[in-house]
Amino acid sequence: MNSDTPTARITLLGVVALGLFGALFARLWFLQVLTEQEFQLQATANSVRTVFEPAPRGRILDSQGRVLVGNREVNVVVMDGLVLTEGFSDTDRAAFSLRLATELSATGSLTKAAEIAERLDVAEVRPFDEIVLATDVDELLTVFLAERPEQFPGVSLVRRTVREYPYGSTAAHVLGYVGPITEEEYLARADRDGGYRLDDEIGKAGVEAAFEEFLRGTPGQRRIEVDARGDVIREVAEAYVPPRPGNDVVLSIDIDLQALVEDELASTLAARRLEQDQSYEIGFRTLAAPAGAAVVLDPSNGDILAMASYPTFDPAEFVGGISQDAFDELNDPDNDFPLNNRAIQGTYAAASTFKLITSYAAIDTGLLGPRGFLDVNQFTPDPGFYTLDSCQGEESQCTFTNAGEAPSGDVDLRLALAVSSDVYYYRLAEQFSIRSGYQDEDIAEAARAFGYGARTGVALPFESPGLILDPESFEQRSLENPDAFPRSQWLTGDTINLSIGQGDVRVTPLQLVNSYAALANGGTLYSPNIAVAVVDPLSSEEVRSYGPRVLGELWMPDEIRDPIVEGLVGAVQFNEGTGAFRKGTAFDVFEGFPFASFSVAGKTGTAEVPPLADFSLFAAFGPVEDARYAMAVVMEESGFGSEAAAPMTRNVFEAIATDSIPEALTLAERARLRAEALAAANAPDQPDAAAAEGSS
Amino acid sequence: MAVATSNRREYRRLNPRTDPLAPWWHVDIVVVLAAMAIAALGIAVIYSATRGADPESFDTFFLQRQTLFVVLGVGLMVGAAAFDYRHLRPLAPVVYGGSVLLLLAVLSPLGVERNQAQSWFEFGSLQLQPSEFAKLGLIIGLAAFLSRYGGRLTFGQTLGALGLAGVPLMLILGQPDVGTVLVMSSITAGMLIVAGIRIRDLLLLTTTGALGVASLLGSSLLAEYQRDRLLVFIDPDGASEAARYNLEQAQIAIGNGGLWGQGYGQGSQTRGGLVPEQQTDFIFTVVGEELGFVGAAVLLGLFALLLWRLYRTARIAGDLFGSLLAVGVFTMVLFQLFQAAGMTMGIMPVTGIPLPLVSYGGSSALTTLLSIGIVVSVHMRRYGVAATH
Repeated sequence: MNSDTPTARITLLGVVALGLFGALFARLWFLQVLTEQEFQLQATANSVRTVFEPAPRGRILDSQGRVLVGNREVNVVVMDGLVLTEGFSDTDRAAFSLRLATELSATGSLTKAAEIAERLDVAEVRPFDEIVLATDVDELLTVFLAERPEQFPGVSLVRRTVREYPYGSTAAHVLGYVGPITEEEYLARADRDGGYRLDDEIGKAGVEAAFEEFLRGTPGQRRIEVDARGDVIREVAEAYVPPRPGNDVVLSIDIDLQALVEDELASTLAARRLEQDQSYEIGFRTLAAPAGAAVVLDPSNGDILAMASYPTFDPAEFVGGISQDAFDELNDPDNDFPLNNRAIQGTYAAASTFKLITSYAAIDTGLLGPRGFLDVNQFTPDPGFYTLDSCQGEESQCTFTNAGEAPSGDVDLRLALAVSSDVYYYRLAEQFSIRSGYQDEDIAEAARAFGYGARTGVALPFESPGLILDPESFEQRSLENPDAFPRSQWLTGDTINLSIGQGDVRVTPLQLVNSYAALANGGTLYSPNIAVAVVDPLSSEEVRSYGPRVLGELWMPDEIRDPIVEGLVGAVQFNEGTGAFRKGTAFDVFEGFPFASFSVAGKTGTAEVPPLADFSLFAAFGPVEDARYAMAVVMEESGFGSEAAAPMTRNVFEAIATDSIPEALTLAERARLRAEALAAANAPDQPDAAAAEGSS
Repeated sequence: MAVATSNRREYRRLNPRTDPLAPWWHVDIVVVLAAMAIAALGIAVIYSATRGADPESFDTFFLQRQTLFVVLGVGLMVGAAAFDYRHLRPLAPVVYGGSVLLLLAVLSPLGVERNQAQSWFEFGSLQLQPSEFAKLGLIIGLAAFLSRYGGRLTFGQTLGALGLAGVPLMLILGQPDVGTVLVMSSITAGMLIVAGIRIRDLLLLTTTGALGVASLLGSSLLAEYQRDRLLVFIDPDGASEAARYNLEQAQIAIGNGGLWGQGYGQGSQTRGGLVPEQQTDFIFTVVGEELGFVGAAVLLGLFALLLWRLYRTARIAGDLFGSLLAVGVFTMVLFQLFQAAGMTMGIMPVTGIPLPLVSYGGSSALTTLLSIGIVVSVHMRRYGVAATH
């Protein structure tokens, strides 16, 4: 056969066909057999979505098991992320926000269009995200929204659990609040096994933040097969993982005591605002008394029983996302930063409460003792002022006075503590500075031993370490920031100031109470506990329990402890006799207190913070023989320690001593009582009203 | 040629009314069965691709329509087989001219634009795609023209054939429907080779063609999406998102099938409708995902069987006209198969071409079955031609 006949040429086509088939088979083999797995993975990622089901957060309970933070099911208006990602223009947004806000307001949830618009303005949305537009809305909206999909595209009403605060704002600073996770928070947890998503909520402050890992539940997972448009085809039922609620956190806080302390703090500050500012010499002004903090803890184990900070806030405002206006208000300096927990974030000059430290340093180093500068029982005159023996310049430069230059007569350590003789401590301080064998830093060292200058380690965020300087760190600070701190040389005057808690000393109320607790319990410095246990709500088993955490043991034999405690008891209970001018600084405050059953030791402090009015401090513990309660109060711009902080402490201790702490009321109970009171007030009128109606 | 054997004589005696030379004794039943098996498989796959996700109410619209088309097509195939192909020769100018007229009409306001191409007539719920029929018109026209020269073409005759092919080709390019243009080009090439084109002419035309395609890609004659689809093959990163998506999803679907497939109706890519046009041009992805390598190989095997019989018919046809008809149909099916399957696997550029007998579409199914019927007719009458000589 000729090679150039049609038949031969057809063979050529046959060869081409064989080649093409070969190519198809080879490629098919490559895709389906050689690289199959890679494509199967891609196909799965393509079509199977994991949808998370939020898990309720754990509750927060008080030491008696009462619910301080619970959960409540509410109706939440959410928007499907897919709708938002698929072309939702700015004009659409504005019109939509207005429509929705109008409807929400009509059903009783007053909402601004701007709030809706703000929530729609999210940086990153994925198709399965649900953007929360409004929380706790009327059930009726379900029907309304369902009937108008063209006006409210992608909008639906879902049930969600949100935080509930049965006791309102009580313990707000301890409890903290939750809010939407920020991008930084999200990224910081991205590599951890938390399973956070960008529309999650997270603890932002207080216990909510500190115990986030326990409180947060494990979200449930649904595996859903979807098509190209994201519509659900079916759910992979066998892959369903139900959500697991978070663990409950049991606090050491007693809500009754907490409520009492908060009430006392608020009412005392309110009362102080009516009083004249004595430190203001060029005219008349009342005290500002804008803020304060109080902490009560158990010296025997470091458990915090109450922690109050004023001004406070309502954590319920954060439920469903706080509006920008409300958040700005909470962060406005004019409102004294209500979100700050002053008990751990506020740092104050310790003032005379610091004499505990100076006294301890003096006895511990032997400066007060048989071979020291003075014996513990030895009296020394306090004429109301003291000029340094070591003075080298102008005499007025080295003269330090008592508050108001009031003389205290001859005082020993006990009396000096009781009547708050500054001059006694000036003398001691000068000796630390100049006496051979003693150093300026001895006081700072004692302060650190009592926990000052370092975080106590309480399980709450944003705790401040306070500030304790010694000559070395003083110089260091100056070197690092010469503009703010030009002087690098520590002088004797600095030791003088330190000895009475003025100058560069800064302590938090928690550090203050903790140092007095260490004295009260015989020298054990605890890291205070805010929580006692973490409990699994399903099995009621303790996941974690927190026992006492010892930070350090102080050297505290009776020779050291007794004179100081006696001095502190004197400050509360000492009176030289009727008509005599010397009595404890808080004696008048505690007049009539049942000391027989509940002996109290304490120390007033009055911090000078020019140009502001004095800050009022008081630190105390009781019963002295077997202390169960230690308490510290700091009140800003509220006058002398004996005028504000001490009376408040008395009120709290009296309620404890007489076992008459009122039961804390939940919001529901308060509402019911108000309604009853109102009904009672109106009751007598009713017959009259009926009579009037009958006669008309 | 010794035709009548003693066996046939025996048979004739047993059944005196049957002539051993009668065409019906020479029906190539393998071609018919292979075509119907492919069409049946196609219907099943179309159903899987279009029934939707809700088992409670599967959509049977496409299933019903395609079944109807195939039944009609088989009718056409039988009719074409019954019709003596030799009578097509005098009719060729009419068939060819008619198909060109239809192509002209579809570009006029009578035609309807879909998927960015003016390729359809619409009669109520029925759409016709004249470019499908034009392929057959071209095959018949070229076969009639080329068979006059007895297997040797001069350059002038080659140019004549090109002119003949060029008219419908340009009209379809104007729709624009690049896929069909490519099919018709390959049909023309295949038929020219068998009809005796000179080697140097072939080389010249190939070079010119390549230059033509290159300039086409640079011109504004192609729609944006078509250029994208072609370019994605050459430069995957440079093409538009949509074109790349199509190719990626198709390969994922096929790869997802593995050796044995995800099972009929179980392909996640298919069920999710993640591959666009999965019931038409991209139907091979459904076969690949749900029936796996084994299923795809069976389908390709059926095509191989069909093509082998078409090829064989071309070789044993009674005359050059019949042989060229078979070559045209063979080339058409071969190229469409390679193109439609190849593009889903990334070895051919993405152009919209139906997989013959498998893809959903009436015009394609009818044309393919009609064409196969004509080849069957050629096979049936391969002795009769000799007898007339």
